[in-house]
Amino acid sequence: MMTDAPEAAASAPAPPKWFSDAALAAMDDVYRFARSLTRDPVDAEDVVQDTYLRAFRSWRTFQQGTDIKRWLFTIARNAFLRSRERGQREVTLDDDASAVADAQQAQEAWLRGGLTPILDHADVGPAITEALAALPESFRSVVVLVDLEDQPYEAAAEVLGIPIGTVRSRLFRGRKLLQERLVQHAIDAGLVPARPSRSPA
Amino acid sequence: MMQEPSTPDPKRQADPQEHLDCDAALEKLFDFLDGELDDSLETRLTAHVARCRHCFEQTDFERRFLEAVSAVRDAEQCPKALRERVLATLRAAGLEA
Repeated sequence: MMTDAPEAAASAPAPPKWFSDAALAAMDDVYRFARSLTRDPVDAEDVVQDTYLRAFRSWRTFQQGTDIKRWLFTIARNAFLRSRERGQREVTLDDDASAVADAQQAQEAWLRGGLTPILDHADVGPAITEALAALPESFRSVVVLVDLEDQPYEAAAEVLGIPIGTVRSRLFRGRKLLQERLVQHAIDAGLVPARPSRSPA
Repeated sequence: MMQEPSTPDPKRQADPQEHLDCDAALEKLFDFLDGELDDSLETRLTAHVARCRHCFEQTDFERRFLEAVSAVRDAEQCPKALRERVLATLRAAGLEA
């Protein structure tokens, strides 16, 4: 199990160039992951700063040849949790149960019919970014790690400290929630007709 | 884009030859698209999708959806000012390589 880098003395020697180059090259990835955790650009920047300071102080705990992004994501996740514990900025806890219920109501045919027209649309990117930001954190972080950062399930489980089965279920639910939000976007934009209302019982 | 199956199969048709029916195939669909299946299951699922129109269409749809999600990756990059601030912080801490 990969663990967060322990706090090292401020007087620790500077890391070698290979470490600096690899770590700094991953800053876009760490920033995206931090954004997915915090949903706030200012909070995300704090997490990135904290992550890099801890990583560079503890570079000796990184095993050369392993995935440095995974190591940095783990540090970032722990930095985020620490910032939430400190309560410097209040982060609303997500209501997973509600989100799960929403996901379970997703209907494949409706999603497919509603989404197909906008997947061909050149401007779908901003809508996806917006829908992604609106996902509950527990789903968003898994979707970002796997779909945007190309991390395997096992790596996502390690970074987030959850079983691989939970990664799998959150990924499924997160993607279905994302699809629902995108269909709603398509309806609002007039690209597809509104979902027919259910007839009363 | 995947090649369409030559013969449309009825929806939810069992696939005894591959020992994989539509329910099992769709349950494993994301694992399949994410490259998380072992070789044996991946082969059976590939064979099923090639023969079943319903699963083919769902697989094609999910693949296009995941490609669209993955494409937003490059749109969000670390702000230049933050990158410079991180480097300044590391320099101040004597951690510059």
